[in-house]
Amino acid sequence: MVRRAEFWGGLFWLAFGVFITWQGWLLELGSLREPGSGFVFFWLGLLISVLAISITLNGVRGKGPLLGELWQGARWRNVLLVILALIVFGFMFERLGFVMCSLALLLFLMTFVDPVKPVLSIPISIVAAVGVWYVLEKVLLVQLPKGSWLEGLPLVG
Amino acid sequence: MDVLAGLAQGFAVALDPINLLYCFIGVFIGTLVGVLPGIGPISAMSLLLPVTLSGTPESGIIMMAGIYYGSMYGGSTTAVLVNIPGEAASVVTCLDGHEMAKRGRAGPALGIAALGSFVAGTFAIIALMLVAPILAKVAVAFGPPEYFSLMVLGLTILSFLTQGSMAKALLMAAVGVVIGLIGLDQINAMPRLTFDRLELVDGIGLVPVVMGLFGVAEILSNIEQQIRRDIVQSRIGSLWPSRDDLKASAGPIGRGTILGFLLGVLPGGGAVISSFASYAIEKKLSRTPERFGKGAIEGVAGPEAANNAAAGGAFIPLMTLGIPPNVIMALLLGAFVIHGLQPGPLMMSQNPGIFWGIIASMYVGNIMLLVLNMPLIGMWVQVLKAPYKILFPLILMFCIVGVFASGNAVFDVFVMIGTGLLGYLMRKFGYEAAPLVLAFVLGPMLENNLRKGLILSEGNFDIFVTRPISLACLVVSVLLLLAPLLPALRKKREKVALDVTE
Repeated sequence: MVRRAEFWGGLFWLAFGVFITWQGWLLELGSLREPGSGFVFFWLGLLISVLAISITLNGVRGKGPLLGELWQGARWRNVLLVILALIVFGFMFERLGFVMCSLALLLFLMTFVDPVKPVLSIPISIVAAVGVWYVLEKVLLVQLPKGSWLEGLPLVG
Repeated sequence: MDVLAGLAQGFAVALDPINLLYCFIGVFIGTLVGVLPGIGPISAMSLLLPVTLSGTPESGIIMMAGIYYGSMYGGSTTAVLVNIPGEAASVVTCLDGHEMAKRGRAGPALGIAALGSFVAGTFAIIALMLVAPILAKVAVAFGPPEYFSLMVLGLTILSFLTQGSMAKALLMAAVGVVIGLIGLDQINAMPRLTFDRLELVDGIGLVPVVMGLFGVAEILSNIEQQIRRDIVQSRIGSLWPSRDDLKASAGPIGRGTILGFLLGVLPGGGAVISSFASYAIEKKLSRTPERFGKGAIEGVAGPEAANNAAAGGAFIPLMTLGIPPNVIMALLLGAFVIHGLQPGPLMMSQNPGIFWGIIASMYVGNIMLLVLNMPLIGMWVQVLKAPYKILFPLILMFCIVGVFASGNAVFDVFVMIGTGLLGYLMRKFGYEAAPLVLAFVLGPMLENNLRKGLILSEGNFDIFVTRPISLACLVVSVLLLLAPLLPALRKKREKVALDVTE
């Protein structure tokens, strides 16, 4: 039972449903004549909870794949690396600026996730990062972070 | 006469050089993303949503529409040559299109796909032009109960057609409404589920949610497995189908066009279901059904016509009722809203230039696609040869740029990362993202119309069942919800249930 994906998926959504129901209650249900801000949240939370219970019960009955089977033969290390890279990117985006951050992200992905020869990865990363920056900043006039740590440098300043 | 005058005004807008350029960019990008597996029209449109801000509303929306129907064309190239559908609506084209290519008939397969798409696309535009004004007149009389019930029907149909468990699809739709309601209450301006975060007061943006659930999740799913591409190496040869091919394809194209258009109009239906339905019909009507799956040109012509007609038909509910029938139309609605426009029954009278301009640009775009696709197929083949390990970092960077540019906030990038991870896990655990996104867009309208309906009726639910249109929508919704409980119908649903992700 506890090894079934359905069981854990259902439990996650059950927790979410209960939380939404509670939030709806806190937001005020109002009346049928004048439904309050929490009216729809409350009923949707209940609906989510009921559906989640039915999914959890499927898991309890042994239906659906085992949790381990979902990642069988998968290169899950790649997934972790990409998520990690994106989170680091998010935190450094405003500090290092678009060009440096994108360059680092592209090089990292093409070196550690699915390796590409440096003779290709380096020029592609530079052309893509600088090219996108040029099109957005200069042509489309979209403001991109310049990098608070790099203020004053010629490319970003 | 009104239609002709409107169309003349529309052509004046569509043939404006700047709009022609935007239309070209749209169909070109659409074909490119249709060709490239791993990035579909949803990601491309979300990416370019902020770019539409830099031009006029007409230009931006013409470009977005071009991406949509352009991707329908482009998807077939990948399906025929690589046996990977460039986008979901081309899944069926793989079956016979790739078999034709393996037998040295890639040219006629691509040719009939382009021709069928052109015929169906043109028919859909003409039908849109004729049907939309009539429906818009009817829709003026719609009140909150009708809108509420129509949206419930749309979400139910999409949940019904989504692959796998209906409970999961409905759960996703409910989660989508909840996420869509985060932010200020439209009626009394009370902050809801904002957790004192200023960034959440205006709600969560459509672009980061879509880019996360479709763009990032797609990449995460792709990089955990080795993508094998079986590109046809032989010469493509002449693209023009033979007389026999044309004769065999005429019927399937005609049937696919009508079927696709009708299914495209339905809320929740669309290009994917119509292509599958067309394939099933052609196989059933054929005197030699055993040829299907082994390179039958009817198996390419019908579905390709159907998915393009559906792409055109899907504009009807959006333009006349203001209700997007699928995720792509929801993005187009986003483009309208960005420019302060509200598609719906009054759009034709209040913004005729935009309404007719979009329709006229679709004529122009369809001709561009035909001209673009035939000679450029060689170039698309070269694009297909680009390895995914180079493509995915670039796509990821474009996702980040698109999301950041849409709201100028790093918070949105984190929303994209979060929904990307959620989308990846949802795919693993068998939850579809399409109902969530459509419900996310419809959520605020759904709640608003429900609450308004209840206020109007002084708390009486009868208002939703005493009005004929509202009642009809609710009855169909209930029937669809009950259908999976009956074993015979459950089997039928499993047969038609499709992956409508992208």
